[in-house]
Amino acid sequence: MNFLPHFPLSLNAIALFGLTLILGIVSGEIVSRSKILPKISGYLMVGFLVGPSVFNIVTPSLFAYTRLFVDISLGLILFDLGRHLNFTWLRHDRGIFITSFSESLLTFFFVFVALYLFHFPLLHAAIAATIAVSTSPAVVMMIANDLSSEGPVTRRTLILTSLNNLFALILFTILLPFTQTDTSHHYLLMHTSYRLFGSIVFGILMFILTICIAKFIGKRKENQFVLFVAVVIFAIGFSNAINLSSMLALFTLGVAARNFDRNHVLIEIDFGLIAKLFFILLFVITGIHLQLKGLWQATGVVCTFIIVRTLAKSCGVHLFAKMSNLTKSQTWLICLALTPMSGLAIGMSHLVIDFNSNLGYQLMTLVATSVAMLNVIGPIATQLAFIKADEAILKINFKRGRNEFNGLQRKSLEYSGRRA
Amino acid sequence: MSLTAFKGNPSNTVGVELELQLVNLQNFNLTMEAKDFLRRLSEIKIPGEIKPEITQSMIEINSSIHKSHDSLLKELLTIKNTLTEQAAKTHIGICGGGAHPFQQWNAQRIFPTERFTNTSEQYGYLAKQFTVFGQHIHIGCQNGDDALYLCHAMARYIPQFIALSAASPFHQSVDTVFDCSRLTVISAFPLSGTPPWILAWDEFDDYFCNLSDLGIVKSIKDFYWDIRPKPEYGTIELRICDTPLTVHKAAELAAYAQLLVIWLLDNKINLSRDIYLTYAVNRFRAARFGLEALFIDPIERVQITLAKDIIQTCNQLRNYAVQFNCENILDQICKAVSNKENGAKWLREHHTKFQSLNDTVRCQTELWKAGT
Repeated sequence: MNFLPHFPLSLNAIALFGLTLILGIVSGEIVSRSKILPKISGYLMVGFLVGPSVFNIVTPSLFAYTRLFVDISLGLILFDLGRHLNFTWLRHDRGIFITSFSESLLTFFFVFVALYLFHFPLLHAAIAATIAVSTSPAVVMMIANDLSSEGPVTRRTLILTSLNNLFALILFTILLPFTQTDTSHHYLLMHTSYRLFGSIVFGILMFILTICIAKFIGKRKENQFVLFVAVVIFAIGFSNAINLSSMLALFTLGVAARNFDRNHVLIEIDFGLIAKLFFILLFVITGIHLQLKGLWQATGVVCTFIIVRTLAKSCGVHLFAKMSNLTKSQTWLICLALTPMSGLAIGMSHLVIDFNSNLGYQLMTLVATSVAMLNVIGPIATQLAFIKADEAILKINFKRGRNEFNGLQRKSLEYSGRRA
Repeated sequence: MSLTAFKGNPSNTVGVELELQLVNLQNFNLTMEAKDFLRRLSEIKIPGEIKPEITQSMIEINSSIHKSHDSLLKELLTIKNTLTEQAAKTHIGICGGGAHPFQQWNAQRIFPTERFTNTSEQYGYLAKQFTVFGQHIHIGCQNGDDALYLCHAMARYIPQFIALSAASPFHQSVDTVFDCSRLTVISAFPLSGTPPWILAWDEFDDYFCNLSDLGIVKSIKDFYWDIRPKPEYGTIELRICDTPLTVHKAAELAAYAQLLVIWLLDNKINLSRDIYLTYAVNRFRAARFGLEALFIDPIERVQITLAKDIIQTCNQLRNYAVQFNCENILDQICKAVSNKENGAKWLREHHTKFQSLNDTVRCQTELWKAGT
């Protein structure tokens, strides 16, 4: 009976991939029925439970083959994030840039000082502070999408997320080469310039390529959808091959697509269902990577990191909210919505390890634990913000409407009865 | 419950209401920004009035009362410029047009006021489908009897206004082949159509009381007729037009309606119920074929294209136009009609040029902003 399967079964890559999505979608649905937790919490929870931190069914190494999907997911997110950065809006409402700059600067400064006081080396503190600047675009976009949230708070949260990720990406690209301790200043400068300017130039070149192809294939949605996905995947692979920052390159591509397409060759593509598929996978995998051990090892520093980050972001937004004519409630809700920090932070800290494997443990513990904590709190905060802003979809009570309508019909019948 | 007394207007003043689209400048779909935008507008001084509409991607601007086309246009331009400036600050677009070409009605959200919530509860999905954009023209009348006379006398000219203002060829992402697809949406409401054949204000008051006692209506606003009297303003309200793509066109249509009302009051034509024999067909043809529609005159028993009919009407009104110093308005109307130009044609041309409805709306917002 050799044709029968041999036990114990070992799950192959494809089965595991499917299982991840099934578990993700089921737990997302269960969690969303609580009406407090967003679906993302469910995806993360499944990852966390099957991951090494709890049941250890799936180890991160088993998921090595999914790296490609994670990279594509992050690539699409960064491209989309870049498309939210609209220069016309920034020109008409200068308050947005100033608000974003102030919240990013204050976050960097206060987190840096706090970690320095906890005796972190300067470079570690600077990298952690840079990572703290960025809000998770994946969480904000996914929640806005899940709730069909639309309105001033949602749009401002998205553009502020886009800007703080831009600041973080630039700072991170500058700081990263400094993690290599055995190199000269001249080399460092060259390396930093190559990564920073090279990534931006590469992003712009990809944009020019996209425009040329788009002119050729025309404005059909399905064609341009494939074109965008293909360009994003190619840009990820090629920028890695030439040692550039794929994150910054894709962000630049998105920004260029939004602002430099003067002849309106590109059409607005919503990655819709395909993005959802990637997002679920991304969050489940993020869940697998989540580590809470740092919370017991370094409770003080993790809590300080989170509290200082949250306060600094809130102060930064509040300082210049009046310039954009935001109400108090809108300002508070934007602060709340900017809480999440996730996928990109993990990606960034992995890059640090790639560059210098000795550097990372303390930093990784801090970032991974803070990400874990903010992954629990962040999506709930963002969802709450969009609901409180009254921008998530409204559920109209049709039952009441029917009763009132029936009331009117009854009244008209009574009237006919009287006449008769 | 009886109607409020008809507040007479000694002269045939004019005023307009324009329902406008709020669009997202990234994808050019409708955007749910009315609440925040109205809050921003409430903090600055604007002539006229700005109000919410049934769904959160619409606003309504109301002009003040005007004696002439020029002062109306001047005020509309001031309102338009202020709105455009404020919209730019919060990065939303504003445009005219009778329907958004590709919005999905089920994605719209009802504006949270008691009146709109009640409408939504009463009419279910029709309320969201009511996300269409019209121009309402108010013309002052001396008394209720005149208002009722005008409501029926104007019925003959309703197809002209449909064709002149038509600017909704696309609906739910489809080219409807109609010039004005907005009217089909309105026709679904049970209280749409035309006012009853009543010519005396006292009788009309009794009619309203009857419907009110039956629990069908609470105010005159519950009638979605193509034209209705508005006693509290002392006007007749022509509700048939699509919101044009520019304020210039909106002012032009208002001036044309004002001249027509003055002519009808001066000439007191004999009203015949026969006008309604062909009303529905003419209304449909105007919406479907625009200026090229064949208009059936049930009184004269002739058929004529709407374009020719409008030119004839313009010639009829010319003396009045001289009196009111707005001859150029009639010239502009005649020129547009001769070239078979209306908003629907402009929108189709831009769609053909850009092969994208998103780009068509982008051009609409640019046209509204430029305002020529």
